[in-house]
Amino acid sequence: MSAQKKRNFQIEAFKHRVVVDPKYAEKTWKILEHAIHEIYNHNASGLSFEELYRNAYNMVLHKFGEKLYSGLVTTMTYHLKEISKSIEAAQGELFLEELNRKWAEHNKALQMIRDILMYMDRTFIPSTHKTPVHELGLNLWRDVVIHSSKTQARLLDTLLELVHRERSGEVINRGLMRNIIKMLMDLGSSVYQDDFEKHFLEVSADFYRCESQEFIESCDCGNYLKKAERRLMEEMERVSHYLDARSEAKITNVVEKEMIESHMNRLVHMESSGLVNMLVDDKYDDLGRMYSLFRRVQNGLVIVRDVMTAYIRDTGKQLVTDPERLRDPVDFVQRLLDLKDKYDKVINLAFNNDKTFQNALNSSFEYFINLNARSPEFISLFVDDKLRKGLRGVSEEDVEVVLDKVMMLFRYLQEKDVFEKYYKQHLAKRLLSGKTVSDDAERSLIVKLKTECGYQFTSKLEGMFTDMKTSQDTMHGFYSAVGHQLGDSPTLAVQVLTTGSWPTQPSATCNLPAEIFWVCEKFKSYYLGTHTGRRLSWQTNMGTADLKTTFGKGQKHELNVSTYQMCVLMLFNNTDRLTYKEIEQATEIPASDLKRCLQSLACVKGKNVLRKEPMSKDIAEDDAFFFNDKFTSKFFKVKIGTVVAQRESEPENQETRQRVEEDRKPQIEAAIVRIMKSRRVLDHNNIVAEVTKQLQARFLPNPVVIKKRIESLIEREFLERDKTDRKLYRYLA
Amino acid sequence: MRKEETVKLISAEGFEFVIHKDAAMVSQTIRNMLTSPGSFAETEHGEVTFPEISTTILEKICKYFYWNLQYASGKQTDQLSPYMSMPSLLGGQVLFNIDCPGRCPRM
Repeated sequence: MSAQKKRNFQIEAFKHRVVVDPKYAEKTWKILEHAIHEIYNHNASGLSFEELYRNAYNMVLHKFGEKLYSGLVTTMTYHLKEISKSIEAAQGELFLEELNRKWAEHNKALQMIRDILMYMDRTFIPSTHKTPVHELGLNLWRDVVIHSSKTQARLLDTLLELVHRERSGEVINRGLMRNIIKMLMDLGSSVYQDDFEKHFLEVSADFYRCESQEFIESCDCGNYLKKAERRLMEEMERVSHYLDARSEAKITNVVEKEMIESHMNRLVHMESSGLVNMLVDDKYDDLGRMYSLFRRVQNGLVIVRDVMTAYIRDTGKQLVTDPERLRDPVDFVQRLLDLKDKYDKVINLAFNNDKTFQNALNSSFEYFINLNARSPEFISLFVDDKLRKGLRGVSEEDVEVVLDKVMMLFRYLQEKDVFEKYYKQHLAKRLLSGKTVSDDAERSLIVKLKTECGYQFTSKLEGMFTDMKTSQDTMHGFYSAVGHQLGDSPTLAVQVLTTGSWPTQPSATCNLPAEIFWVCEKFKSYYLGTHTGRRLSWQTNMGTADLKTTFGKGQKHELNVSTYQMCVLMLFNNTDRLTYKEIEQATEIPASDLKRCLQSLACVKGKNVLRKEPMSKDIAEDDAFFFNDKFTSKFFKVKIGTVVAQRESEPENQETRQRVEEDRKPQIEAAIVRIMKSRRVLDHNNIVAEVTKQLQARFLPNPVVIKKRIESLIEREFLERDKTDRKLYRYLA
Repeated sequence: MRKEETVKLISAEGFEFVIHKDAAMVSQTIRNMLTSPGSFAETEHGEVTFPEISTTILEKICKYFYWNLQYASGKQTDQLSPYMSMPSLLGGQVLFNIDCPGRCPRM
């Protein structure tokens, strides 16, 4: 709007009397000069603002602006010199107060002068590019008062002295301090920096260098960090109270550098109180302090992280390679989980859930878990233990928690296929013996494995569940179709297992007792009648049986035994004494299995339904066995477990290894063919790299094995070597 | 109207206009006069003498002050500014340092 107005009207200057008096300018200036003197002497009440304003206005209007301006500079300089003298004369403590008081007065006077000379400020000064009145006042104050030879150094010394006194615990007048610092800032940021901040930072660096040296000699790590933190807080507080906010970064930088960065290594490695000791003793507060302080300096966290990683790797390595631990797989895994929990908690509580620390923790676990080749087996055994009994009566959420933790360990495994192998075995045992605590938990874990490793990884495991379900239906069908023909022969429960899905061993069938054999034949003909083109073979090594038994004094018990044990016990229906050789001949159970099953029948206290002669722990070829008439038990149902090796023995382990290696071969070959099909030509090193990349979700293939597979593929004419460059392979379609 | 809320403006001929301080402070110059940190004679006595402004013009100026106070805070108005009818008064803008109508007075 204002622009519009100005277009509409021609602004004419106010009509004034023509200046006739040649001394007009001199006279008018005298009036104004007098006024400025009065203002500085706190004697302005007799002055008329209107008159002064009008005079200044007229002077500018009549082209005496230059005279007015230079007059102002001279007069103000004169007064500031007077002020400077009185400040310099102030003694000791009064110096700052005097300076502060005079500064306030000068500001007030400057304000009044600017109001009077407003017209000059608005018209004359912009057109002649001079310094505006207010700024002029500040500049003159800076040059005449602050930079006077006597004041400049004294002011700096006084300020630094006050800061030093406050650092040593004295109480100083912060209000006064703030005003003086504010004055320096008002005079321009360069004045604040050159006349105060620069020196302040230098002195602080010296101070903290000495102090940190003193602390580090006398304190342990925790206490040192506490002191450093306190100092840092103090400096920040100081900035917020009386320094420029922009100084905060600079002064904290000084403290960080002197107190932390230069002693970083020594602090972290400090004997009996350094980082490792804090980790051992779960000192979350100290660790948190270390994290927040070290985060401020470059490379600080790198040191903390490296030391922590090295320590975790070390403890982890000790744990997984300790032969004591290998005896109890469940305890072994539990310890791993505890270790993980411990460091998760540290990272959560003290290290602000720092991603880089989590990664370091993960890579450490990955490193040492894979140091022990039996980790996959043990993890699977741990799951087995949990799903058999550990999770009984535990709420669903807690089950999930345990399973999630297991999955976390699983993720660290490089040989996931080995885990799969063992898991399959253990799952098969659980399913067939009906020992699993909860179907939901089993399925939940499978879903987790599926999301982690994809459909292929779990398809066989899922197949096992399907088989269990179909078998139930088949048994229903069997009993409703032919049940009436069976009379009171033993009840049969068959689980039909798809070959391939289950970890079946080449079956060594034993001789079943006649009545059982008959029912089995019935089932076989029923099953093959409904499903054409299939073949059934009996896995007697995997079954169980319930036997109703009557002992010498008429006590009745129901024995829950394995199929092999059932076969052995049924022999005692007709006789009381059998030798090992006789049993072996009658049943044809493989020797190692037979020994184990006899051991559990005759040698376990409280479950010894057989007697053995001679009495000893182990089964020898010439032992004789008797039906134990005197057997008693508090329970009606007696479960006779086979003495199963919980963890695999060394030869079994070797065997499993070998099978895993066998299984890997086709996978490696498939990967090579996939890669070569798309690349056509590739050199050896690249193939190895790509194959490793493709397969690392399941296992880490050995380059030597890959080389062998390539050779085998060349033999079978999938690939050929390049004629000229022997390192290149070509894909043959 | 209490005394401390008012200010007395005196023309060249000695006519006195007693108006609200709020209205008088529409003029940046008068605002400075009355609020300057040191106390000038004007602040002490609550009156300002204009030896170079005639009664007629000072009256118009006072009217303008009130008009500005009432309408110039951005509100639309049909009423014509008393200011617009007197181009000759425009000199006052310079001396009194008044912002054009429709804008809030500058500090």
